[in-house]
Amino acid sequence: MTARLSTLEPAFALHGDGDRLSLDGTLTLGTLPQARASLQEGTAQRKVRTVDLRGLDRLDTPGALFLCELRKSGVKLAGARSEHAALLDLVCSLDLAPLPTQGQVPRWRDVVTRIGKATDDFFHDTLDIVTFVGRAASATLHALVRPRYLKLAAVSRQVAETGVNALPIVGLLALMISVVIGYQGVAQLRPYGGEELTVNLVAVSVLREMGVLITAIMVAGRSGSAFTAEIGVMRARQEIDALEVMGMDPIEMLVVPRVIALVITLPLLTFYADMMGLIAGAGMAQVLLHVSPLQAFDRLRLAVDVSDAFVGLIKAPVFAFFIAVIGCMHGLKVKGSAESVGRETTRAVVKSIFLVIVLDALFSILFDRLGL
Amino acid sequence: MSAHARLHAPTIVSARDLVNRFGRQTVHDRISLDVREGEIMGIAGGSGSGKSVLLKTLLGLHRPDSGKVELDGKPVDAISPDEKAELIGVLFQQGALFSSLSVAQNIMLPLEQHTSLPAEEQRRIASMKLALAGLSTETGNKFPAELSGGMVKRAAFARALALDPRILFLDEPTSDLDPLTAAGIDALVKELNRSLGITVVIVTHDLATLFTVCSRIAVLVDGKVSVGTIEELRRSKDPWIHEFLHGPRAQGAMAARRRSNGNG
Repeated sequence: MTARLSTLEPAFALHGDGDRLSLDGTLTLGTLPQARASLQEGTAQRKVRTVDLRGLDRLDTPGALFLCELRKSGVKLAGARSEHAALLDLVCSLDLAPLPTQGQVPRWRDVVTRIGKATDDFFHDTLDIVTFVGRAASATLHALVRPRYLKLAAVSRQVAETGVNALPIVGLLALMISVVIGYQGVAQLRPYGGEELTVNLVAVSVLREMGVLITAIMVAGRSGSAFTAEIGVMRARQEIDALEVMGMDPIEMLVVPRVIALVITLPLLTFYADMMGLIAGAGMAQVLLHVSPLQAFDRLRLAVDVSDAFVGLIKAPVFAFFIAVIGCMHGLKVKGSAESVGRETTRAVVKSIFLVIVLDALFSILFDRLGL
Repeated sequence: MSAHARLHAPTIVSARDLVNRFGRQTVHDRISLDVREGEIMGIAGGSGSGKSVLLKTLLGLHRPDSGKVELDGKPVDAISPDEKAELIGVLFQQGALFSSLSVAQNIMLPLEQHTSLPAEEQRRIASMKLALAGLSTETGNKFPAELSGGMVKRAAFARALALDPRILFLDEPTSDLDPLTAAGIDALVKELNRSLGITVVIVTHDLATLFTVCSRIAVLVDGKVSVGTIEELRRSKDPWIHEFLHGPRAQGAMAARRRSNGNG
């Protein structure tokens, strides 16, 4: 692919004697390296004073640039055709300066700068989250207290989008997770003769942890990113500015319905994931342990408590709140370009999944202290 | 190149019997258009008249429902990517500068891809193209997001000129620009046409550009095209073309044309 131009271009020749050289053929992008090389050869032995351009057929801007450099070094250009002379005049009249090069930064300094910048970013990010969480919470409470400000249509659309449309994928994930835990449980407990307890293991882990965690991660990836992208595109197309000048609060119009919708849907989705997980657990009992589903469900009463389901479900609205708030926050942070929408979406998803897992760890400690 | 020479110059862009339909709507109904080497052809028309679709069709980015397009005597879809890069340069409406590259890197990208010039030479050429487009070399290190609207157009201009193409396609080169910047772009187009002999096809509804820069214009109305010089088209019987070229804004542009013809 490269070097193709030079093979296509017709010949270029530089010849002559004394202090006068003649340039024949084509002087364009393709023959430029050749021109430089033969000029160096020509000037190596003697001082050239004049270059004759009568034989020149084609000249383009890089060729003209080359000749201008010659002219500047004191060589006379003679016999140029009128169209070539016009081009030469244009290019020679340009105020040419070499492209400024960016200063090279030593590697160690680069590392230090990056660490410093990352720390500073982390500090500001944290501050932003705290501020935005506060604003979103206050706006949400305000809307709940005064339902006049509540956009019920928007809420219901978001519930459909984030909840109903997520049912297939969340259900499938819950089933798969139960299958994984079931197989692991049987394999690990069999040496101790406790494989029967796999039913308990699946039920407890799905209800307390896996159901809510998998659902929250799925929703963060699915709906959190959608929030950022939707609001981000609105920001990029100045729709947010339009809202503000028309006296509407973007937080109230865009953030509150999404937060409320997700706080409604995530617990419901979690409950649904729990049920799917338990069904899959019963299925696994039948396949691996030859325990009938009826017996398996009967054993559930002994294995789990209402508090286990409660421990899982109580986390869902908290996760939902943070997923929605972070998604919306990054959407509002978008600046102008489409590139920025992509960057903020990535950040929103990474941050919300990270936060979900951190919160889950905190909940574990809390419930342990509470003895739940 | 004189007007007389232009009349006998070979055709470099040729569209024959183009038909473009979107659903039931026929945007182009068997239109033909010839652009001669070295001329500046303006393509005008109201919003939704299919100017941009015509441009895309000429560039080979859109396949017409029927009809054919030839660039330099070759069907546009038979031109290899390398030949195409040498033959045409395009200034897109929004500039279409690659946002992850600096302006200088944007200009050097086609040079890297299509020539074997050393990096030093490429940088020298990039700096010359920047100056040619009226930008300072400091602009070379900036990224497209840091440029103003006029600078984006100029940088995109410099990139379109990177390989010294023979045909330059400009899509709304003066839209979204203030009148002074727009006049600067107009002057640049004329200068490049005069000194490089480059053929220019401008899609625009900027009357000042049409009246002062273009040697001929093609007006798209109701799926048909009328081609001619401003004087010829001003005598057109078509009500839209008449209104377009005689309206209050056209009067000002006509005065500008007389002035620029008088001076040049």
